[in-house]
Amino acid sequence: MNETTSEAINLTIDGVEVTVPKGTTVLQAAERAGVVVPHYCYHPGIPSRPAQCRMCLVEIEGQPKLQPSCVLSATDGMSILTQSDTAKEARRSVIEFLLLNHPIDCPICDAAGQCMLQDYAFETHQLESRSHEAKLVLGRDRIADDILYFADRCILCTRCVRFMRDVAGDEALLVAQRGHKAYIDTFPGKDLENEFRGNIVDVCPVGALVHEDFLFKPRSWDMDSAPSVCPGCSNGCNIDIAVKENQIVRVKPRYNADVNGFWMCDHGRKHLVMANRGSRIDLPLIRRHGELEAVHWGEALEWLSTNLPEGGSGHAVVSAFDATESLAAVRALLGRIGIEGGGYRLSRGHEAELGGFPQLKLRAERAPNAAGAELFGFGETDGLPEVSDGDTLVVVGDRLADAPADYGEGAGFFLYIGSHLSDAARNATAILPATTFAEMEGTFVNHEGRVQRFHQALVPPGVARPTWMILRRLLGLGHGEVTMLEARDAFAVAASESGRLAGLNWDEVGLKGVNPGGTAAPVAK
Amino acid sequence: MERARDVKKVHPAVVSAQAFQVADHRPVERLFEDAEGKDRRDKALSRYPEKKGALLPMLAYAQERNGWISANNMEEIALTLDLTPAYVRSVATFYTMYAKRPVGKYWIQVCTCISCHVNRGEEVFEAFLEHTGTRAGEVSDDGKWTVIEAECLGACGFATAVQVNDQYFENVTPETVPEVLAQLEKGGSEE
Repeated sequence: MNETTSEAINLTIDGVEVTVPKGTTVLQAAERAGVVVPHYCYHPGIPSRPAQCRMCLVEIEGQPKLQPSCVLSATDGMSILTQSDTAKEARRSVIEFLLLNHPIDCPICDAAGQCMLQDYAFETHQLESRSHEAKLVLGRDRIADDILYFADRCILCTRCVRFMRDVAGDEALLVAQRGHKAYIDTFPGKDLENEFRGNIVDVCPVGALVHEDFLFKPRSWDMDSAPSVCPGCSNGCNIDIAVKENQIVRVKPRYNADVNGFWMCDHGRKHLVMANRGSRIDLPLIRRHGELEAVHWGEALEWLSTNLPEGGSGHAVVSAFDATESLAAVRALLGRIGIEGGGYRLSRGHEAELGGFPQLKLRAERAPNAAGAELFGFGETDGLPEVSDGDTLVVVGDRLADAPADYGEGAGFFLYIGSHLSDAARNATAILPATTFAEMEGTFVNHEGRVQRFHQALVPPGVARPTWMILRRLLGLGHGEVTMLEARDAFAVAASESGRLAGLNWDEVGLKGVNPGGTAAPVAK
Repeated sequence: MERARDVKKVHPAVVSAQAFQVADHRPVERLFEDAEGKDRRDKALSRYPEKKGALLPMLAYAQERNGWISANNMEEIALTLDLTPAYVRSVATFYTMYAKRPVGKYWIQVCTCISCHVNRGEEVFEAFLEHTGTRAGEVSDDGKWTVIEAECLGACGFATAVQVNDQYFENVTPETVPEVLAQLEKGGSEE
């Protein structure tokens, strides 16, 4: 790998002058100049650079032979031509060879529309093959529980093999045989079981490696995507949520050098696709004459503001899956009705670290915002609070899925704000439909105290609203407070109420997040 | 996690895979347990600055000992050399000279590289398949023959070159293939 230093050098790329630190490769320098040199085997997140795909060949003015730009160090005064006739011809030949045995099954290929082979093949205008030979058929294989390998589509860039070797530190993939018979395989009888194996699908520049649960489902042009943050654990990996027909169909890591690099773990990928399941609460329900009755928002909130008891003993259960803005609003509500404390439950699992990128770790705390809950004085609790007769109980976000069916029955007033209706939640006096994190904008605070924004990916069911919106409106009723409609306002209020986030700006948090303190927040260990 | 992958059949990844390249799971006795194995292992290890260097000789030893290299032998070699089994397999399959499952008594490697190609190497290869009644890389029913294509055998002056076990046949033409086979059947190694 090239080490960059502070010494600056100047070079020209297609006539554009760029200044880069010494040690930069020509391919990286070209990116600075706004030129993407086509490449397959080079991946910025994988340290090894075999320069074997020969796709990134460029011409150096004054030199007769082309050079692979992914390993060519930029030198002072160099003049690079990426679009010269010889360079274009070299790339055209590479594509022609790659397409020799490629099935060109784009109409049924998962990668179509997001395929580097497709893109470059169209760029070189080779719409018809010059070959008269029969194509070599290699077939397909399952190389992991959830990953299929289409050998015919494979261009043998070996990104997957090198990801496993260099980044995951688990050399479980191999190139079997050689030449035109070569294919990617595992050791026979040993499937890929690494917890970061899903990344090999992401690094595959073509459709050779595909996730089975995504196979043949959406086409890339049918999907929308929203930048988000993975709720699988407290690491807070940046992700893109791909959505089709209001269902999460795929989750891909989004580059963030400080958190997850180019990668994410398989727990996160699977966890989120599960978010589609379960029946949702889509209308406010209030209990009148012993029966739950669907009402509209205005009525529900009016009713609540008059009937929600203030003072007396009470308990609160929040969720570490809720946005920071929502948790702040819950704290404000609890302050209003005189309930102190409150806690969240946290499930824990095993940990797994990505050897080549140790910041990325599947962390034991399987919730995205435990640190955010701590900011507003919520502590981790082992179980649900004991509710004595006549107590006030406020449950926000926690699904109560494992609670006994009679939980909260004796409560004097039981307010439930959440997305799913479990048996215990049906005992509530009032049930308000909240969005999941994927249906709203907001922020999570990860294990090191980094504040990260997520965007809305899905349309919420029915009239479900973000918890912060519900509660801020409820708190504002009759108190002359301004009704909040935007997450940025909710964030500003939450930040001012938290202490640690004070002064943070919504725009400054941006897509990459910021760590205001620089030191770790008091997270549950 | 355990999935049923039928290991008896040809590997599903590659329809065109030749049988000798496909891993065989039949356990074979361990390589480096007895005195001879230990001796060969230590000799191989002493010859290279890095452990990894001893990989090819160890694979060759496994083949010399059993006639082929089983999956469990590859795992044993990987353990000995601090490599992963996957890496050992990638090397073993790269070289066609290593048999990844049992081959016939006579392992016929027909060169089809440039010089032999222009001297009808492919036809010789086809003739061997026809006269032995096998398909490429498979063992004939009587257990005698396995025919594969080989890369340059270094006998370009005498194309087409054919290597049968450790023995070379030169200037082979499709017409002389039955002769070669008869000779092998008659006495084997004495040409």
